[in-house]
Amino acid sequence: MNVRAVTAVGIALLLLLSGCSSTSAEQPAPTPTSAAPRSNSSTIGTQSAALRPVRETVPPVRVQVPSVGIDVSVQPVGVQPDGLMELPENVAIAGWYRYGPAPASTAGTTVIAAHVDSLEYGLGPFSRLKGLPAGTAIVVTTADGTVHNYTIESVTNVLKTQLPLDEVFDREGPRRITLITCGGQFDYDRLTYSDNIVVTAIPVQP
Amino acid sequence: MRKKIFAAVAAAFIATVGIAAPANAISATTADLYVLHAVPNTPVDVWVNGAVLLPNFQPGTLTDPLDLAPGDYEVVITAVGDPITSPVIGPATLPLAAGTSYTVVAHLAEDGSPTASLFTNDLSTIPAGEGKLTVRHTAAAPAVDILANGAAAFTNLSNPDEVKANLPVGTISAAVAATGTTAPVIGPADVQIQEGVNTIVYAWGSLQDDNLALAVQTIGGLHSNPGGVNSGQAGLAADPNPATLGLGIAALLALLVAGSVVAVRARTAQARR
Repeated sequence: MNVRAVTAVGIALLLLLSGCSSTSAEQPAPTPTSAAPRSNSSTIGTQSAALRPVRETVPPVRVQVPSVGIDVSVQPVGVQPDGLMELPENVAIAGWYRYGPAPASTAGTTVIAAHVDSLEYGLGPFSRLKGLPAGTAIVVTTADGTVHNYTIESVTNVLKTQLPLDEVFDREGPRRITLITCGGQFDYDRLTYSDNIVVTAIPVQP
Repeated sequence: MRKKIFAAVAAAFIATVGIAAPANAISATTADLYVLHAVPNTPVDVWVNGAVLLPNFQPGTLTDPLDLAPGDYEVVITAVGDPITSPVIGPATLPLAAGTSYTVVAHLAEDGSPTASLFTNDLSTIPAGEGKLTVRHTAAAPAVDILANGAAAFTNLSNPDEVKANLPVGTISAAVAATGTTAPVIGPADVQIQEGVNTIVYAWGSLQDDNLALAVQTIGGLHSNPGGVNSGQAGLAADPNPATLGLGIAALLALLVAGSVVAVRARTAQARR
């Protein structure tokens, strides 16, 4: 739509909004003074409906937090039959939620999680995430060899039952990476922790 | 005069349209309407409630969702520049309900005459690890089968019907063949099944004119999240347990109280003596 038409629409809207029906009846919406050519576009966004080329996601394969010596490989994971996020058994291997964003995605959160410990493997590297200060560097390498640098924004303890899943597994917000493990109290009867340790980091602008 | 009417009606329309929302969000009080032009070789004007909403709308083009108040909308499609009184398609009434996503498609009927169909888009939540594939037959062609990786996935789909299914994420080689056959009349083409996305594929064009093609619309944000992250099982990284600590303090207090009771009793006993 051309500028003049937009102006006319704007004035018409103002008149409508002002609610002065008698006034608008006396002063009809202004019209363009010249016969402008018929508009070729409109205020409504359009796009080609042609089939788009397939875009494969490049998975992350390695996560490092150099300041505390974390250097683990990463495997793509999905969800378990019980609906929880799947995780590699080995505490030294992290799982990337493959149905969500990846480091090269244009939006959303890349989620990488690992067991903090296990009866078989003992204490894992992600136990060192707890208490990391904001500004700590995280380095993620993807399968194509690209290195993605992040800086920690926050490290929080959240009751597992209160983990904000929509926020953590966000697909449309700003590009971020979230590292998750367990912490807090341990229930020795159910062999489970009370909390998730959630590390949120944002990309370092090159 | 025409311009004036256009401006006034456009103003009224924009007042109801508002700002285009993210693809996944749908308001409970308004309807989403997408418009797809699937009549080959014919740019058109799309009129809604008496005003040109989409001037010079090109074949193979899809609009963003229009956020509309629920109600009946009258659609007329004319050749570009023609008056509303010379419709190519319509007038057709679109009854739009709140909280529902629709696509209105200008397309060819099976016999090749121009028509319009209103489809309801499935916005139901999709299980983790899957995407939805919807296929709509909007082509001037008899009933077809939809082949996925060479095998019939949907059979005997007629214009203007649709079929849909949730499928594991991945890429399928999709083709369209006359029903009961496997020789493609469209494709094969790689179609990506994206997680939590309803991928709507339209077969459009005309078999007789040899211009059958695929058009694709995607509606995202239908994914489900994992239910949580259970990431530890040995207690090696546990914080000191305040429950245990509390128990200790309680025990200590109990001891102190018991101690003073004993002391008092002792004193009482002494006094009696």
